[in-house]
Amino acid sequence: MKNRNEPHHFAQWERRERPIDPGPRPPAPKEDTGGPRRPDSGSPEKDELLKRMRKVDPKQAERYRQRTGE
Amino acid sequence: MTTPRLFGIETEYGIAREGMPEIDPVVESMELVRSYLTGPFEQSWDYTGEDPHVDQRGFRVSSLQQDREEDQFAELDSHRPFTFHEMKSDLVLTNGARFYNDHTHPEYSTPECRSLVDLVAHDRAGERIVFRAAQKRNQDLESCHVKLYKNNTDFHGHSYGCHDNYLVSRGIPFEHLSNGLMPFLVTRQIFSGAGKVGIEAQERDSAGGVFQISQRADFMETQCSVDTMHDRPILNTRDEPHADRKKYRRLHLILGDANMCEYATALKVGTTRVVLEMIERGICPSIDLDDPVAAIKTVSQNPTLTVDLPCKSRKAITAVDIQRRYVEAATKALFGTDAETDWILNEWSDVLDQLTRDRSILVGRVDWITKQWLLETFMEAENLEWTDPWLASLDLEYHNVDPEAGLFLSLETAGNSRRVCDDAQIEEAIRSGPSDTRGGIRGLCVSRFPDRIQSVQWERIFFKGGIINPKTLEMGDLFDPDQVWAVREALEQASNPASVCE
Repeated sequence: MKNRNEPHHFAQWERRERPIDPGPRPPAPKEDTGGPRRPDSGSPEKDELLKRMRKVDPKQAERYRQRTGE
Repeated sequence: MTTPRLFGIETEYGIAREGMPEIDPVVESMELVRSYLTGPFEQSWDYTGEDPHVDQRGFRVSSLQQDREEDQFAELDSHRPFTFHEMKSDLVLTNGARFYNDHTHPEYSTPECRSLVDLVAHDRAGERIVFRAAQKRNQDLESCHVKLYKNNTDFHGHSYGCHDNYLVSRGIPFEHLSNGLMPFLVTRQIFSGAGKVGIEAQERDSAGGVFQISQRADFMETQCSVDTMHDRPILNTRDEPHADRKKYRRLHLILGDANMCEYATALKVGTTRVVLEMIERGICPSIDLDDPVAAIKTVSQNPTLTVDLPCKSRKAITAVDIQRRYVEAATKALFGTDAETDWILNEWSDVLDQLTRDRSILVGRVDWITKQWLLETFMEAENLEWTDPWLASLDLEYHNVDPEAGLFLSLETAGNSRRVCDDAQIEEAIRSGPSDTRGGIRGLCVSRFPDRIQSVQWERIFFKGGIINPKTLEMGDLFDPDQVWAVREALEQASNPASVCE
């Protein structure tokens, strides 16, 4: 009978054959296919971005306080 | 035999309430975490055996720099109507992650991953989980909604971390780790820095007017130390392997910035993993920086990347050239190992080239360049100078995890970021852990046997079985994917997890 201080070790197990490869290493990140685009000057995307930035309270960083973490 | 690849990221999030400059961070973080619960909170995390005072260099310190402050907070918190465990509110999720209140910050620790795609998916899953918790919390709040930031500073001298962790063989002497890693760690910020407006120091307000590469460099005060909250080290020596102590170390890096760009996360962890393999093979370039602590700040505060860093036994060298020395040595020895390693080596080399040619191509890939571009675009439109305090507020907003407000997420939504994983992979990562690591097994147990779990540690799960006979699923050396699969299959077929432990 095992107790909490006698954990089981999987190395003791008999290894079974698996029918399919269940855990192949996931593929590497995809190759670059052109990458992101920096929004062009005057584009709708850039206008939208500027609109969002203008909504940011200019004082929010001044008020933002956190306790030190790790 | 090489060490099994395994890594994970812990992220402490900044938390605020709209229109409330004074909040109780303990209650806010606790309530935030609990908002993710679908039932009552039950304590399941077991802290037994965790000891942050043990140092990898072979000794145990009697106290940490933070102990006095922590004791003061503990005294304050002792008057609260909840226990330590209730305050921590540790949740173990169905994806094997841990979500809890750590030092008054909601912290999300990814499950252990073996691949960069999985790691990035789980890091992004963490972002969405904390945001969904905030959405639920906000449904209960009539006003002053919660806002969460994936960043590392409050611009007033208080920093919080994003730690990257790696399984390392205990057979590698710590001195080898330190020598091989130090120049790399000092300079990896050139592609992994998140960017920051201003310069600050521990407990000291930010002096604005400048833009620097890293959020955390200002807070690095020594080369090696077991401390994490004061006198922070470039190389943290905490010895909590969360694995078989005789065989493994856990490299616990606290110097990194929290990244919004998936590409930066992948490159930060991927290159570090490669450097650890280089150390294991004894093929790291020999670069002895004269003063690594000064150098990490110098690099951060010089975004032109042209500054030479003094060395003890060779002529001064730039951060880019230090990284080039690493990638060249790594490519010679490791190219062709596998697809992921080849991706890392190719992108590492490419990003160094782009940093010295046309950085604009790195917008959406490297956070500090993306942030700098956003701020300069705004400054031009609004005719602002770097001294304008609005810029620090925009810096903060870059890290907002709300897709409707966050500046980075706005870029990403518009397709202007380089993705490493897709939304389907992130949603899957919210539900379940990696199929090839113990993190996935932990998540499976939480999903399948929630009522049978007595408590959880990183390296084991205790199942209920009576006081005399609890069953333990030991995972301190469960890193071989074949063994992981065998355990996973057994758990999927078992009606009682205790049977798998026999």
